[in-house]
Formats: sequence, structure tokens, C-alpha cells
Amino acid sequence: MGEQYNGDSLLEMFVFETTQNTEQLEKIILETENERHFSDSAINEIFRIMHTIKGSAAMMSYSYIASLAHKAEDLFFFIRENSSIEYNSSLISDLILLCMDFISSEVNKIKENTELDINGADEIIIQIEKCLEDIKVGKNSNPKEISNNLPSYSFKAILYYEEGCEMENIRAYSFIRDFEEYVQNISYNPEGIIDNDDTAFEIRKNGFLVFFDSNKSYNELNDIIMQTPFIKDIDLTLLDIEKCSHECTDIKPEDKKDVKNVLIQNEEIHNNKAENHQSAQSIISINVSKLDKLMNLIGEVVIAESMVVENPDLKGLELQSFRREALQLHKIIVEMQDMVMSMRLVPLTTTFQKMHRIVRDMSKKLGKEVMLEFIGEETEVDKNIIEHLSNPLLHLVRNSIDHGLEMPEERITAGKSPEGKVTLEAYNSGSNVFILAKDDGRGLNKEKILAKAKKNNILFKPESEMTDRDIYNMIFMPGFSTNENVSEFSGRGVGMDVVMQNILSIGGAVTVDSIERQGTTVTMKIPLTVAIIDGMNISVGDRHFTIPITAIRESFKPKKNDIICDTDGNLMIMVRGECYAIIKLHQQWDIETEIQELTDGILIMIEQDERRRCVFADTLIGQQQVVVKSMPDFIRRTRMVEGVAGCTLLGNGSISLILDTGWLMNAEIK
Amino acid sequence: MISVLVVDDAAFMRLAIKNVLEKSGFKVIADAKNGQEGIEKFLEFQPDIVTMDITMPDMTGIEALKKIREIDPAAKVVMISAMGQERMVKEAILSGAKSFIVKPYKEEHITQTLMKIATSK
Repeated sequence: MGEQYNGDSLLEMFVFETTQNTEQLEKIILETENERHFSDSAINEIFRIMHTIKGSAAMMSYSYIASLAHKAEDLFFFIRENSSIEYNSSLISDLILLCMDFISSEVNKIKENTELDINGADEIIIQIEKCLEDIKVGKNSNPKEISNNLPSYSFKAILYYEEGCEMENIRAYSFIRDFEEYVQNISYNPEGIIDNDDTAFEIRKNGFLVFFDSNKSYNELNDIIMQTPFIKDIDLTLLDIEKCSHECTDIKPEDKKDVKNVLIQNEEIHNNKAENHQSAQSIISINVSKLDKLMNLIGEVVIAESMVVENPDLKGLELQSFRREALQLHKIIVEMQDMVMSMRLVPLTTTFQKMHRIVRDMSKKLGKEVMLEFIGEETEVDKNIIEHLSNPLLHLVRNSIDHGLEMPEERITAGKSPEGKVTLEAYNSGSNVFILAKDDGRGLNKEKILAKAKKNNILFKPESEMTDRDIYNMIFMPGFSTNENVSEFSGRGVGMDVVMQNILSIGGAVTVDSIERQGTTVTMKIPLTVAIIDGMNISVGDRHFTIPITAIRESFKPKKNDIICDTDGNLMIMVRGECYAIIKLHQQWDIETEIQELTDGILIMIEQDERRRCVFADTLIGQQQVVVKSMPDFIRRTRMVEGVAGCTLLGNGSISLILDTGWLMNAEIK
Repeated sequence: MISVLVVDDAAFMRLAIKNVLEKSGFKVIADAKNGQEGIEKFLEFQPDIVTMDITMPDMTGIEALKKIREIDPAAKVVMISAMGQERMVKEAILSGAKSFIVKPYKEEHITQTLMKIATSK
């Protein structure tokens, strides 16, 4: 057996490479699965990956992984050498995915140094052997449903013409003539429209009824029909799917040709991809811990720079040339900082693409048709942050498919296309990245959420005062799940608050919006990076604090007249007709300071999640880029530090605490 | 921009249609006062869409429509008809007119119809 995983570089490389290979393999399988036939390049690639895994696993003496990879390699070797052989690609895909899951879970165990499942591979090996035998005797060919790529459905449409458009019968005739290009087996009522002008009145009164078969999607057909002049409205319904799919199992020769064309096209795409891979050789991979170290060093440089430039020894000196050079140094440091930052930025593509697998598995299991769409997957996020995104996204996608999307029949009755859509969208906005997980399912049920919240006693304000948003956002509270059925994938009621915790831990925020029967959108706001922020330094007594610039709206000296004190003694300030609560830092943390009166100090208005509060401090020191350091362990262990997101070093060497704006918003004012 | 050829014997109608279309972002690249001129202008300007009055002296809109469809089987022609011309409209549709608008029409009838026809296959 392999040695312990303790940073051993060979083992580290094995874990890294095998993980990459299994991910690559999964991608290939998922890409080719729908084509019902592996392309030559896919077969070669799978073969190559299995071969690599076999080799390195054997090297590391994980013989059971090696023999599993070896069997899979055998299978693909046979397919590769007998290109004319018939096989069931869907079955093989399942088998390879199973194989891959096993390998990656074992690799994880190796990485985490937990007990390995040495005999777990045996069963899969037997399955692969059987599959190979079946292929050899030709028992395991593709089921004859190639035309499934182009299934045809029956539709019923009622067309309503605009009032006063005249001669509806002739218009209907012209519609049928054009529409016949898109669909088959068309029939309509009333008949005889071109000969009998009386039918115009009938159509005007009852609409024009059309039945037809088509392999186009509901939306496509809807669009085509609405493209017809003078159509005011249509009532398009999908008729029995079952019957249709049976009818079209016999393959027409021309369909076969189509499928072949598609295959050829795909092969071309694959070949292009292979070329792309080769040209990407100028990229090297770097250990993340090295990047982290570099980032830390740059942080130190930033601090050292301000220590030098603001050195007390220089006070009062006329240093023209020094200042100029210092400026140059500053410019270079800022550039370096940007560069290091960009090195750590990783596109969301891989994180998004991981979702293909769960979508595939769930749609198969639950019998739902799901389309996964990505928008802006090239958006880049800090590597450290991306690690925290995988799980929340997985939860959200699972939830969308499991609870959000309806079964195909239900969708059709609701007038939606049978295929549900889950969209993952990402975009940059300022120093934040927004990631949206949307579905076009049934949406959240307000009543259910409220009832559940009441039952679990987690209502945080009176029901009547709650906005829709408040209600929807309760799903993020711990222990909340309205779904009665716990399925294999979700519904244990831990999902959403895990999402919330994960995102909060990286300084982000989560909100949910929903429209009943139209879908749900979960929005995650995530900082681009957590390492260096623009901060405003303030002082209270002899303490220094830093507030992230992005949270500050304005700062001002309050006038006495604007200060309001309510009956409970809470202080508030009136700014342009709006009232804001005041949180006095010196009172909050019992800091000694001479500045006690509001009019002597300064108020800083901070905003988060569309809420505002004013923070009272002695003075502003100035704006500065600060390197965020987490609180040292020995402090965190000894006492709970509330309201502090981290700390940083100022130019003069003193420590400044970075205020947690989320806490400032919600803290009870002392 | 969608280019349109307007064929109508009445100068008033030509102007009226032109005004409506240009207001809505169409480009009226030419007009013609009878069928024969319509065919010539069609060949010269190759518009995206033709609006064709049905009743015109010398050569009717239907004859012009047939000729145009002979020249270009994919030509998109929209007929402008008066009330009660069912027989003629039928003949026009059977001869390949894409749609028809009945006078007196509303402005949006013309713009919507032309827009839909122009953007469809």
C-alpha cells in the first residue's frame, strides 16, 4: 500500500494528476453521452486516461485501482480496435462513470489518509468484464432508438386572429400553407376554409383549431406561430407524449443520415479541441500554497512601504527626490499586487461544469428533463473563494432540480416546455462577483414557508410586517425545509443554511427571489478577493479601526439639530429626511476617549444589503489599502471577538481592527 | 433596416404607407404606380418586402405578384386589398402572397405584418 499522505511530492502528484484525469474523463463521458456513440477521439482519450491512471496507480502500489483502470482500458482497447462493433454507449458511460467515481473517492481517501476500500473494485471489474463479453458476442448493441434524438410530439393549437383583420379563412389557409414547412400530419377545423367564406365567421368566433406533429420544442413552435401576421393569441398544447414516442421508434433512412452528420460534426469539434489542448502548453501549474505565500509577502511589502514612506524620522523634512522615488515604488507595488491577484483568479468554468454531473444523475433518477445553461462562466474569482463555492452551488442546483422543477407532465399543463431549465450566471460588479442560480420551476410557496417558520418558531418579526423577500429568505435559516420527502439528493433541511454559512464565511451574502409558478433565483454576492481591501482608517481613543471603503456611503460632522433621541434613549440622526440609527464605537466596546459628544466626532454612514447605519468615531485617519489578516489563533481561542472581521497593520506599525460591517448592521446598540 | 417597395396607383396611399413605415424604422426604397412599374422597380431595387395594391390600372396587383414570384420564388409580397375582395385575395394567397391587409387599416396592422413577414423564414 502507499505511504502516508504527508506532502510526499510523488504521491501529491499522483493525487493531483489522477483527480485531473478523472475530471477530464467525466467531462468526455458527459459530452459524448448524448451522441449515443463515442467518437474516435473520445475513445482514444478515455483509453489514454485509463492507461495513465493504471500506470501511476501501479507505481504507487495501489494495485486495486490499477487493475480497475486496466479493465476499463481493455474495454476501450477492444472498442478502438473494432470500430465497426455495435455497443450500447449509454451502458458503457454508466459503467465508466461508476469506475471513475470509485477511483476519485479512493484518491480522496488516499489524500485524507483514511481507510481504503481495497475490495470495492472487484464488483466493478466483474461488470466491465461482462460488458466486454457481451459486446464481443454482439449482445450489447445500442437499442434501436436513434431517432430519439429527434422525437416527434403531437400538438394542438387554437389560433385567434386580431379583430377586424377580415377574411380569417384566407388568412388561416395562408397560415397552413406556410406552417406545413415546419410540421407533419397537419389537420384543422373548420375545414374547407379556402372555398367557404362562411368559415371566416366561425374562426372569428371560436378560433382556428390545428392539430399537427412536430419535433420542434414548444417554444419554437410558439414563436413560429406568433410570427404569423394578424395572430392575436394562440393556445398551444402538447398532446400525449407516450403515444408519439412509440410511434416514432422506427427509423427513417434520412434520420439515420442526420445522426451520422451530427456525429461527423462532433468529431470535428473534438479534433479542434485536441488542437486547443496542444496550444495551451505555455501554462504551468503552481502549488496554491506558494501563491498564498507570495500573496502574504506582497501584503508585507505594502505594509513595509507605508512604514518607510510614513516613517516618523522623515517628519518635517523636505524630501523632493525621495517622494518621487517613493511614488515610483508605490506604482510598482500596486502593479505587482494586481498581478499576484490575477494569478490567483480562476474562471468559474470548472466549478460550473461540475454541475453537469449532478444534473445528469438527478434528471435520470427523478425522470425530469433538465437543461443546464451557463452565462458568464468565464468570470474569474479568487482561488480561495472558489473552493467555498462548489458546495453551495451543488446544493442550489440540487434544490432547483429536486424541488424547483416540476415533472414534465406538470410543466406541460402549466404551459411550460417539458424541459426544465437551470441557469448558472456569473458577472462582475465593482469589487464583487455575483453568482445567480436560477430555475424556471414552480417557485417558492410563501404559505408553506410561513407555516413551517411558525411551526419551528423562527419568525423574526410579525407576519404582517414581512415582505415577500423576508419570507423567502427564511429558507436560509438553520433547520428549515418545507419538503416532506427526503430524497436521495436533497431535503434534509440542512442545505440552504449550509449555503448561507459557506457564503458568509467568505464575506458574501445570499438572497433569494421567487415568482410563484415561474421560478426561483438565488443570488450570491461574493467579494472578488479577501486578501487586500481598500479601507478607511478611523480612530476611537487610542484605538484604530478600518472600515471597508465599499461599505461606506458618506461621512459627516453631525449638527446638533439633526440628532434625535427617541423615548427609549436610542440616538438617531436625520440625514436628508431619513433617520439612521447611530452606533457609538466607544460605548459599544467601552473604549476611553475624550470625544463623547456626537458634534465633536464624526459619523460614518455604512450600508450593507440595502440597510444603513451610522458609526460614530473620533476622527478619520485616511484611506489606505490594507492587507487583511485573520485574527491570530491565540486570540480567537481565548475569547470570542465580535464585530471584527480581521486585523491589519498600518503604516506606522500600529494594529488596526477591521470592522465587520454585517455585525455593525445587526449588533444590539449599547 | 428592412427595405420596402410600395406599389399602389393612388399617390395618397403610397404616401400614407410610406409615412407609416418610415416612422417605424422601415426603409421605403422605391414606389410604383402600377404593376408593370412595380416589377421593374422590384428588379432594380430588390426590396425585402413588397406591398401591393390589388386593383390597379394596366396590370393588376395579382398579375404583378405572379410575375414577381416567377422572378424570385422567395419574394415576400403583402397584398393591400379593399373590403369585399375575397375572390381576389384568395387568388393572391394561392399565387404566393405572404399575407394581406384590408383597407381601411390601422397603422400597426401594416408595421406588425411587415415586421413579422420580414423576420420569418
